[in-house]
Amino acid sequence: MDFYLGLIQIIGVHTLLGLSAYCVLLTGQVSLAQAGFFAIGAYVAGMLTVLAQWPLIPALAVSAVVAGAVACAVGFPALRVKGLMLVVATVAFGEAVRLFFFNFTYQIQAGTLHLGPHGAEGFRQIRYFPEHGWSTLDVVLFIWIVVALVMAGLWWLDHSRVGAVLRAVGEDELAAQSVGINITAVKVSAMTVGGFIAGIGGGIFAHYTTHIEHAQFGVVLATFAIAYPILGGLSNVFGTLLAAVFIQGFLIEGLRFMGDWRNLLFGGLIVLAMNVRPRGLLDAGTTRALKRLFAAGKERSGA
Amino acid sequence: MDLLDLIDAVQSVADGVLFGATYSLLGIGFTLIFGVMHKINLSYAAASIGAAYASLLVMSVVEAPAVLAFVAAAAAGGVIGGLVYLVGFRFIPLANPLATLMSTVGLLLLIDEIIVHATAGVPLSYPALFSDVIVQVGPFGLRGDLMFVFALGCVCMTLLLLLLYRTRLGLATRAVSQQATASLLCGISTTQVNVLTFVITGVVGGIAGAMTGAAIGMLSPLLSLPLTVKGLIVTVIGGLGSIPGAIIAGLIVGGLENAFQFFRGVSERDLYIMLLLFAFLVFRPGGIFAKSSGRD
Repeated sequence: MDFYLGLIQIIGVHTLLGLSAYCVLLTGQVSLAQAGFFAIGAYVAGMLTVLAQWPLIPALAVSAVVAGAVACAVGFPALRVKGLMLVVATVAFGEAVRLFFFNFTYQIQAGTLHLGPHGAEGFRQIRYFPEHGWSTLDVVLFIWIVVALVMAGLWWLDHSRVGAVLRAVGEDELAAQSVGINITAVKVSAMTVGGFIAGIGGGIFAHYTTHIEHAQFGVVLATFAIAYPILGGLSNVFGTLLAAVFIQGFLIEGLRFMGDWRNLLFGGLIVLAMNVRPRGLLDAGTTRALKRLFAAGKERSGA
Repeated sequence: MDLLDLIDAVQSVADGVLFGATYSLLGIGFTLIFGVMHKINLSYAAASIGAAYASLLVMSVVEAPAVLAFVAAAAAGGVIGGLVYLVGFRFIPLANPLATLMSTVGLLLLIDEIIVHATAGVPLSYPALFSDVIVQVGPFGLRGDLMFVFALGCVCMTLLLLLLYRTRLGLATRAVSQQATASLLCGISTTQVNVLTFVITGVVGGIAGAMTGAAIGMLSPLLSLPLTVKGLIVTVIGGLGSIPGAIIAGLIVGGLENAFQFFRGVSERDLYIMLLLFAFLVFRPGGIFAKSSGRD
C-alpha cells in the first residue's frame, strides 16, 4: 500500500513540475530551467524547516516566492532570445543552479548531527513529516490539495483574459504585439508564475524524499518537466496531469514487470506518442469530443 | 604562481583546445540541422555516442586496425542520422516545433537505453591512435592521441566546408536554410535536403563520437548528456547557423574548460562555462562573429 501512496506522491509533485512548465509553454517558450527553480524551492524550503525550524506552509510560501523571484530575474535576459537560444540559455541556467548546489555547503551543529546542505553529499535529514507525526496518507492528501489548488488557479487563469493573452503570444508573437500586448511582460510573468509553482513543487519534493542532492535536479528532470505538458497537450491543465500519470504511473512503474526492457520502451513510446499525437494526448480536438460526449450524456439524463 | 604552475596551466589549456575539436564538430552538427529545419535535434550527441558504440561492435566482429573504428563510426553515424530523421521528424508536422523537440528527447533516452541495455551499463574501452606518441615542444608535451583527434577534426571541418560551399548539394542545403519556400519553388526537394543533412551531420557526429572515445580512452552512455549540453553551448557561443563560429567556439570552450578545471577544480568547472554562456546570451546573443545588429 505504501508503495502506491509513494507513487501517488511522486505523480503529484511531478504534476506540479509539469504545470510550472505548462505556464511557460503557453507563451510558446521552451524553458528547461524548471528543474533549476525546482531545486531552489527544494533547498530553500528544506533549509527553512530544518535550519530555521519554520512550519511547512510558510516555508513553502517563501520557497515559492524565492523561486518565482529568481525566475523573474532570469526571465528578463533569457527571454530576449527565443527558440534554440532560449532552450540553451535555460539549460545553462538549470545546470548553473545544479552546480551551485553541488558546491554549496551551509551546515549547523545540532546535538551530534550536522544539519544542512553539504555540497556533493546533498542535504540529508529533512525530517519534517516524521517529526510532526504526519502519516503517509496525510502527506498524500496535502500534496494533492496543493495540486488541486494550483490546477484550479491555472484553470481559472486559462479561462480569463490572461489565458487568452498568454495563448495569443504563444500562437503568434507578431500578431500579439500588433494588438498592443507587451510580449516581454507577458513572457516574464509566465516565467515568474512557472517559477513560483516549481518552487512549491520543489519544496514538497524535499520534504517527502527527506534527502535531496544536486544530481536529482539535472537536465533529465528539466526534460521531464517539459515532457508532461507537451506529451499531455497544451489545450488545458488536465493534459499535464494525464501525462504525469502516464509517464510516472504507466511508463515508469506500470512497466516494471518488463525488467530491463522498460527503459527501452520508455523512450520508444515517447517517440511513438509524438508521431501519433503531435499535439499531445489530450489535444483540443479530443477535449471538444469529450465535452460533446458529456453534453450528450447530460441531455439524455435530463430528458 | 611559479613557473612550473604556469607551464602546467598552459599544458592543460593546450590539451583542452585539442579536445575541443570534438565540441566543434558537435556544434557544427547542431547548427546545420537547425539551419535547414529550424528544429533542435536533442538526440544528436547521443546518436554520436551510439555511432561510436556501433563502431566498437564492428571492431569486435572484424579483425582490423584501429583506424577502421573511425570509418565504421562515420558510417554508423550516417545510418543513425537517417533513422533519427525518419522516426523523429518525417511524420511529425513541421508547424509544431514542440512535438519534434519532444520526439528527439525520446530518441535521446531511447539511444542511451539501447546502449545501456547492450553493454549492461559498463563503460567500454575505445582504441586510441598514436597514444604512445608524445611530441615535446620546449617544456610542453603534446599527446599524440589528442593531436590525432584534433587533426581529424580539422580534416572533417575542411571537407564539410568544401561540401557546403563547393558542391550543388551544399548550394541546395544553404538555399533551404535561407528560404525553404523559395528553394522549393526553384525545384529543390526540401525533404531530400533534410534527409541528406541528417545523414551528413550524422557522419560528422559519428566521427566526433569516435574522437571523444579515443581521447578519453573509453565510452560510456553517461557521456551523451554532457556532450549534448556542450554541443548546444558551442552552437550558441559560435552563433546560430555560423560554421566558423562553431569551430572557434568549440576550441575556446575546450580550452577554457581545462583552464577552469586547473584553477578552480573539477566540481566548479562547468559552472563557469555556464556563466560564460549566459554572458554571451546577454551581451552577444548573435555569437562570436555576429554583426552588431544581428539579434534574434
